[in-house]
Amino acid sequence: MVPVRYNVRSLIVRKITTLATAGGIALVVFVFAAAQMLGEGAQRAMVSSGRPDNVIVLRKGSDAELPSGIGNDFKKLGDRPEVAQVAGVGAIGEIVIVITAERADGSGGISNVLVRGTTAEGIAFRPEVKIVSGRAPKPGTNEVIVGKAISGRFKGVGPGQRFEIRRNRPLEVVGVFTAAGSSYESEVWGDLDVIRKYLGRESVVSSVRIRLTDPSKFEAYRMAVEGDKNFSVKATREHDYFQKQSEGLSGFLTGFGMVIAILFSIAAMLGAAITMNGAVANRSKEIGTLRALGFSRRSILVSFVLEAVGLALAGGVVGLVFVMLLSLVSFPVMNFQTFSEIVIGFHASPQIVVSALIFSVIMGLLGGLIPAIRASRVSPVEAMRG
Amino acid sequence: VNIATYARRNLFRRRGRTILTLITIAVAVLIFNAIRTVDHAWKAGAEEAAKDRLATRHKVSITMLLPKRYIDDMRDPSKIPGIKAATWANWFGAKDPRGRTQFFAGFAADHLTWFDVMDEMKVEPAALEEWQRTNNGAILGDLLAKTLEVKVGDDLTIASDIYPGDWKFKVVGIYTPLRKTADRNTMVFRWDFLNNDSRSTFSKEQIGWVMSRIDDPTKSAEISRAVDKLFDERDDQTLTMSERAFQLSFLGGFSAILSAFDLVSVVILLIMMLVLANTIAMNVRERAHEYGVLRAIGFSPGWVFGFILGEAMMISLAGGLAGVALTMLLINGAIGPAIEENMSAFFPYFRTPLPVIALSLVGTLVVGAASGLVPAIGASRRKVTDALRRVD
Repeated sequence: MVPVRYNVRSLIVRKITTLATAGGIALVVFVFAAAQMLGEGAQRAMVSSGRPDNVIVLRKGSDAELPSGIGNDFKKLGDRPEVAQVAGVGAIGEIVIVITAERADGSGGISNVLVRGTTAEGIAFRPEVKIVSGRAPKPGTNEVIVGKAISGRFKGVGPGQRFEIRRNRPLEVVGVFTAAGSSYESEVWGDLDVIRKYLGRESVVSSVRIRLTDPSKFEAYRMAVEGDKNFSVKATREHDYFQKQSEGLSGFLTGFGMVIAILFSIAAMLGAAITMNGAVANRSKEIGTLRALGFSRRSILVSFVLEAVGLALAGGVVGLVFVMLLSLVSFPVMNFQTFSEIVIGFHASPQIVVSALIFSVIMGLLGGLIPAIRASRVSPVEAMRG
Repeated sequence: VNIATYARRNLFRRRGRTILTLITIAVAVLIFNAIRTVDHAWKAGAEEAAKDRLATRHKVSITMLLPKRYIDDMRDPSKIPGIKAATWANWFGAKDPRGRTQFFAGFAADHLTWFDVMDEMKVEPAALEEWQRTNNGAILGDLLAKTLEVKVGDDLTIASDIYPGDWKFKVVGIYTPLRKTADRNTMVFRWDFLNNDSRSTFSKEQIGWVMSRIDDPTKSAEISRAVDKLFDERDDQTLTMSERAFQLSFLGGFSAILSAFDLVSVVILLIMMLVLANTIAMNVRERAHEYGVLRAIGFSPGWVFGFILGEAMMISLAGGLAGVALTMLLINGAIGPAIEENMSAFFPYFRTPLPVIALSLVGTLVVGAASGLVPAIGASRRKVTDALRRVD
């Protein structure tokens, strides 16, 4: 076997070539990993909003909270033996609307923000919700709290500011909350009855949530409420609901990123092939010498493949190091179901790191294989004669 | 010997390397064009929207409705001068219960005026007459009709995300596009049919948005302000904007994705630059001795600089042209038409436009110059004696 030091030194001697090739691979790995991190971020933000023992009830035919509507008799949905009492209440009814808001960055662009009308019990229903600045809204008033992810991104939707949901009916932002990184952090939460009154929609809620006494009771509960003639509703495990909501978005992000990265990798692989081809051409004398010293064709082949893979791996590691910096950045995307904006982070996982490294190894292998085969076929006599 | 000949001959000294580099550039240009085309196509529907149309919606939310009597105010020239015609529609949240399509736009619209204002959709006069007679009549875009496998005269059952139950319609007409950006995947049915149904009491006598046609497109800002001012003292305030801005307001959260696209298309240019710079650097290193000889027989450093830069530009231009040819063949010839056929709700028009192609060629030339610059400067500044003595 040819010592690895030979390859390392060869790479160091050709500084510019090595840097250019590894740089190309680093850029491809960067794009590859960034798209996956964003998809993972979307998945986490949306799915972590759900719990396995929570059930969300929507009007039959509605796939999301926004278009759904259930009458004020929704409280009966909580009067069942499978339902646990949370803060003394069985069913949590909430209203969800999207409002148009102007971006605070001065671009004049508008986007949509989700506003949720809830109750004190509704907030208690989600223990992960924490007020991080300001204070909790007083029940029965026009006070609201804004999720940390969108706080300050839109005009009027920041601490101490106010925005109208109806003429002369302002909501006042009194605090900022976090919710363990979930998509709730991209929402504004206010009082159910006040918001419904402002909108003139006192008789309906958008969705109803209940907590099961035990997750295994889901089927029994679903059968009971979906069979109830007084309602026309559909019950879904909250976890499954958010999973389904996030599928479109995270699938779109990772899928699109994957396509772009694979296309990019063609360019980077060709780059690696050019470099390795050049290396073989310039070093034919050296290869001849190695062969004359007794190294087999196979060890030459292995040596050049290793060099290509090492080069690609180095590029991959550099790309990963830079992509990790993205963890500090958050990125606004659109939730297709609500037209509203949710802000997600780039989220690295061990699986993404491993797949990015495998991806760069494959690029090195594919780019380096043919030149390595050429190298192994160099005839020692011819090469040394020059 | 002139620069061009020398550079051209040098190109094929390392034929394999040049060909690989050309392929890389061609592929990179293809990818660049594909990304820019997605970006362009995403905005195209909105950009090519009629300049003489204004959309008026609820100020607070895209989901809130306006009182129907607003349409009378807007049609009254004494209140708002400059509006030629106005029509309205409600979003229906249509879903195909049989699941033949994931998504399409369904509206309940005013059957007397909708197609007069939305004149990029062509409907046969007989179909329009039939629509006036048929309460539950619906008119579909030609692509949607194909997807749903219906023709004129058929019954069609549609569900809604907003209104409960099944809704039974009769297909009275199929519209075809008069402009390339017209969405051929929409379904329009009569607003009075929706309004008179007991399942729509919560939106009774309310409308989703008003679409109006104005006399003079240059006055659109002025007229928009006049409309919003008229309703400013009412309970439901309005937000009036160009049709383009209206469409974009549904895609508001997408602007960040589009800026990510901008970034990604710059990244592919960078990758292309690295590959090309590598090729040129390798060539120059191998020929260091030659350049020394050229200098020794009297060529000035400027000539050496020109040889190298010219070679880089020539490779990049050739690769760029090959990439443009690939773009024409693949995107405009094959993928584009397929996308327009299957995804017309998102991309009614998916072709690489001329400005994008021009941009990609400018991009390759800049990349060619940038990647040749460093090796060219290095080689032209090298002392003749060093170059001749240098062993690689």
